[in-house]
Amino acid sequence: MNHNLFLKEMKRNAFSLMVWMTIITLFISGTMALYSTFLENQSKILGMMSIIPKEALQFKGISNFDDMLSVLGFYSVNNVIYMMVLGSIFAIVLSSNILLKEEYNKTAEYLLTRPITRSEIFFSKLAVIFINVFLLNFVTALAGFISMELVKNGPFSIRAFLILSLYTLLLNFLFGAVGLFMSTLVKRGKPITTFSIGLVLIFYFIYTLSKITAGASRIGYLSPYRFADTNAINPAYSIDIWHLAYFIGISLLLIGISYRLYKRKDIYT
Amino acid sequence: MSTPIIEITDLSKFYGKARGIEHVNLEIEEGEIFGFIGPNGAGKSTTIRILMNMIFPTGGKAKIMGMDVIRDTKKIKNQVGYIPSDAGAYSSMDVHEFLSYCIRFYQVKEGEQRIAELSEMFELDLKRKIAELSMGNRKKVSIVQSLLHNPRLLILDEPTTGLDPLMQSIFFELLRSENRKGMTIFFSSHILSEVQMLCKRVAIIKEGKIIQLEDIETLRKKQLKKISVEFDAQVKKEMFSIPGIERVLPGSENSLSFMYSGNINDIVSILSGHNIINLIIEEPSLDEIFMHYYKS
Repeated sequence: MNHNLFLKEMKRNAFSLMVWMTIITLFISGTMALYSTFLENQSKILGMMSIIPKEALQFKGISNFDDMLSVLGFYSVNNVIYMMVLGSIFAIVLSSNILLKEEYNKTAEYLLTRPITRSEIFFSKLAVIFINVFLLNFVTALAGFISMELVKNGPFSIRAFLILSLYTLLLNFLFGAVGLFMSTLVKRGKPITTFSIGLVLIFYFIYTLSKITAGASRIGYLSPYRFADTNAINPAYSIDIWHLAYFIGISLLLIGISYRLYKRKDIYT
Repeated sequence: MSTPIIEITDLSKFYGKARGIEHVNLEIEEGEIFGFIGPNGAGKSTTIRILMNMIFPTGGKAKIMGMDVIRDTKKIKNQVGYIPSDAGAYSSMDVHEFLSYCIRFYQVKEGEQRIAELSEMFELDLKRKIAELSMGNRKKVSIVQSLLHNPRLLILDEPTTGLDPLMQSIFFELLRSENRKGMTIFFSSHILSEVQMLCKRVAIIKEGKIIQLEDIETLRKKQLKKISVEFDAQVKKEMFSIPGIERVLPGSENSLSFMYSGNINDIVSILSGHNIINLIIEEPSLDEIFMHYYKS
């Protein structure tokens, strides 16, 4: 790893990280602030929800209304979209651009002509992705935890909260690896930001579609969201070793392939 | 004999089926100012990008200072400066931030002093954002970054684009001065006059192949002559369709000019059969020499 490049990239991405942290934190804390109101009006809300088709509720991640009565259930149902979707978009946008922007901004001619190897460039930038994604997850999870502590009406399982946060982090890392992989496939450095965001949304759509359509449940396995268990209020909620292996294995595999491709990639500006 | 500072052996690069360069062979000695001329698309930038390990060859080898450009790229780049033809910029950085970022890649003592010296020479405002700079000023930044670490070899890819004549002259003087101190310069350009001004030896690249490798002076002194003749009556252009004569261009009324390579007595003998009013035999310009090799 090259410290000079690493520090420059951290500085370069600091503003974007701050913006994403602020937006997601505001979404989470704003949503959690509604928890007390939700509890006070649960009978009215239940009445309202009874006229909404079951599939539509499932699309929103609500399979059982009672799940939302506990603070952790409310958090996991309402915040999955912020943490898991927006966090993944942040990760994939960052990672798909971090190598590629040197090409389309035509700065690769300055970077690649320094005494630095392709491996050092790759791992310095990979470290920036990991640290940025970790910081985003840490701060937003902390915001979620503090929000729950402030609005809770009873204890909640910190262990379950940590497992949910771990799944979110692993999912975001995986999308980070996907973005990096895609960027090494692109020739003559064209930005792929729109495609990357689209990919996250497509995977999320596949996952939700598999949940609401009985006949399509199997296609859910195509989506990484299927492997990030969000049912945190289930007493048996724990880390599934196979799901953990899926996230780590796929991420490492994509990073490994990306590394090999980047080491031999023709870089044009 | 010492190891050439750049040694290119049978180097080829194909982009799918499209030709980049083909079987390029080149040796450049330490201390030279070497010109690399060719029109756009001839393969100059492809060759340089392989040397700088930005792209990979499909065949052949290239070495700098005896080291392989792929395997030993980091060691090589410690001692090489590079000016790209059209590099972008870290637009969020100011000039000083960018130059400091560049110099931190090297183990340079008194880096700040070097930044100050070179920036002053090129009248660069260190506090300006790179995004706000004109093309010429960006080029100056590019020149300064290439010299910060006192490289042993400087590779220049069309370096004068955007520089005004005064800055070009300062830049060329700086290059001559650095060369006198021992720096080798590999100067790629399609502007022949600047190569002529600076370089001692030149390679001409055409359609991915080196077609000529000569001293600038030898190139000039070769048999190639530019001959302009004025006759007392009109002569047919076809009369000059003989070996050695090329690019016959009709002039005003009874005159014409052409390039001739061969024994000068032979052409004088042919011309003596006509009534000549005026005859000029001169050294062709480098542009004309280049066109001669390029067209042939």
